[in-house]
Amino acid sequence: MGRTITFLQALNEAMTEEMRRDPKVFVLGEDVRISPFGQTAGLVKEFGPDRVLNTPIAESAITGVAMGVAMYGYRPILEIMFCDFAMLAMDQLCNQLGQWRYVTGNQYSIPITIRTNVGGGVRAGYGHSQCLESQFIQAPGLILVEPSTPYDAKGLLKSAIRSNDPVIFFEHKRLILGGISGEVPEEDYTIPFGEAAVCRSGKDATVVALGFMVHEALGAAQDLFAEGINVEVVDLRTIVPLDKAAIFKSVEKTGRLITVEEGRIRGGIGAEIAAMACGEYFDLLDAPVQRVAAPMVPIAGSPILEDMYLPNKDSIIQAVKRTL
Amino acid sequence: MELPNEKLIEVYKKMLLVRTMEEKWAQLLAGGKIHLHAHLGTGQEAVSIGVTAPLSKDDILFGTHRGVGEYIGKGMRPRDIWAEYLGKRTGLCKGKGTLHLADRTQNIPGLVASLGSDFPIAVGTALASKMQNKNCVTMYFVGEGTCNQSDAHPSMCMAALWQLPIVFAVCTNQFCEMSYMSEHCPTEDIAPRAAGYGIPYEIVDGQDIETTYKATEKAVKHARDGKGPYLVEYKTFRMGAHFIGERAEYVKREDLEKWAKRDPIDLCRKKLLEKKVITSAQDNKLWAEVREEVDMAVETALSDPDPTTEDFITDIYEQKGVL
Ligand SMILES: Cc1ncc(C[n+]2csc(CCOP(=O)(O)OP(=O)(O)O)c2C)c(N)n1
Repeated sequence: MGRTITFLQALNEAMTEEMRRDPKVFVLGEDVRISPFGQTAGLVKEFGPDRVLNTPIAESAITGVAMGVAMYGYRPILEIMFCDFAMLAMDQLCNQLGQWRYVTGNQYSIPITIRTNVGGGVRAGYGHSQCLESQFIQAPGLILVEPSTPYDAKGLLKSAIRSNDPVIFFEHKRLILGGISGEVPEEDYTIPFGEAAVCRSGKDATVVALGFMVHEALGAAQDLFAEGINVEVVDLRTIVPLDKAAIFKSVEKTGRLITVEEGRIRGGIGAEIAAMACGEYFDLLDAPVQRVAAPMVPIAGSPILEDMYLPNKDSIIQAVKRTL
Repeated sequence: MELPNEKLIEVYKKMLLVRTMEEKWAQLLAGGKIHLHAHLGTGQEAVSIGVTAPLSKDDILFGTHRGVGEYIGKGMRPRDIWAEYLGKRTGLCKGKGTLHLADRTQNIPGLVASLGSDFPIAVGTALASKMQNKNCVTMYFVGEGTCNQSDAHPSMCMAALWQLPIVFAVCTNQFCEMSYMSEHCPTEDIAPRAAGYGIPYEIVDGQDIETTYKATEKAVKHARDGKGPYLVEYKTFRMGAHFIGERAEYVKREDLEKWAKRDPIDLCRKKLLEKKVITSAQDNKLWAEVREEVDMAVETALSDPDPTTEDFITDIYEQKGVL
């Protein structure tokens, strides 16, 4: 059976083990040798500076460099410290690396993993706190992954590193800094993309959540259970590919769907899932789909204002009740 | 390169204020009164004050995330800074920007979170000044690490092409977060890059306030006289961690010792004492006054009102109620 490790350790182990397994895997990014958050800490000691490259602050250029090296046989893991800064590299991310396989008629694979942190709640204010996953759902060719537990973090990160397609791997700050821990086996394992996990089963409503919000959803489910409401919580784990079958199966059982994300509501992941549900299994729904997400407001630095912004357990409870 | 006595004492006081503000920030963090990440500029006061003190009120400043030096230098008031840092509705940005200070009354348009995104924005403000025939200059103050951002290059290119009134002030403090400059920059100097765009440049000692002041004055005059952009690189050293709480174990002891001998505030004090502009008793009094000023500013800001639910959804669009 597994030992208990933190979310952060799980990420570190996945990279360490993959670098040991495959000499083509290497890490690059700003300050990855010291690693401000700790994901890549210690890698330089074991693998040396040639496999752990510190880069200049130049998000667009380092993403392009990672793409070039990936086209010719390497498997770079690029860290873009904050997802907010990935916006500086949107051309490389969305126009280049996601589309290259297709426009070259499958001549090139781009086996690159981009790890980046998302999310608020740590008082980092504007420009350091957004959940921008949905910015990428419009871009073809990218795989989007967001784990909520150490087990998933390790298994999914290994899959990402071994993937021959570009993966953006989102790590929520509150999972990293909050020291969330869980059981993780010693032996090697991977988790396939496109498989959601039912992390709590129930019959009254389906809550589909992502990343840190899975924990808020589980908290909400627990409170609702005390009131006699039995909620099923589905952790998406990957956004692209989306596990449509798992969502369908759950809604077939409950007849009610609530989507939960920390990103903003307009054009969000919940909008996509709600549209899918309405278009493909409208007759299963006993109530309108509810979306829990952040409002269309920038994130303020004042803790009071940030708390007004963030979706939480209470907003999930309210949304579930609206469907009953 | 000497400054008149009254100027020297003026910049000295500003440097004291900066250091005191930063010391206070560290205390507030330790006491749990503030949540904000504190990137301090200890040891860099002669740069931040030297770069901003020669500016007029109409000149536009883009500052950095490191400390409050340049904001104080340009004229922001400690009380306004604290209210913003503490996330109060009386803050400069009503608690919405916090670290990202902006003060329209002082022509400080604000601080971006993604470093380097303001490179072209600053070129834009300089273009506006030129189009309006305003006699003002944009001061773009930036860390050497940020000069590697992609937009740095087209920004300098346009500034030179259109001969815009902008000064690029590069604060080379030897670090980019937790990495020495040698890990993110292939050369010791940033300044010669300007030559690629035909922009004149100069590299100066960043520890001596008279040097930094005079170099800035010259660059600003060049830009103001319609001769186009200018770049000055100030060599200094970050005497602390990237942010408070980070252990800075990578910083070499011998570097700290070497640079501590040339602390900008000590250097300036020595000059003032030697020139007999002040006595050491007067110096002690100055420190005490500054400490009191900062304490007062914090006290009032702490008791200011917090933002409300109403504030949460305003200021996104000009028209209320649009989300
Ligand atoms: C686009 C972007 N990438 C990365 C960061 C994270 N970051 C914050 S400070 C910093 C180092 C900046 O170095 P430099 O420009 O030399 O300024 P200094 O901190 O030394 O004053 C980095 C990389 C950021 N804020 N924005």
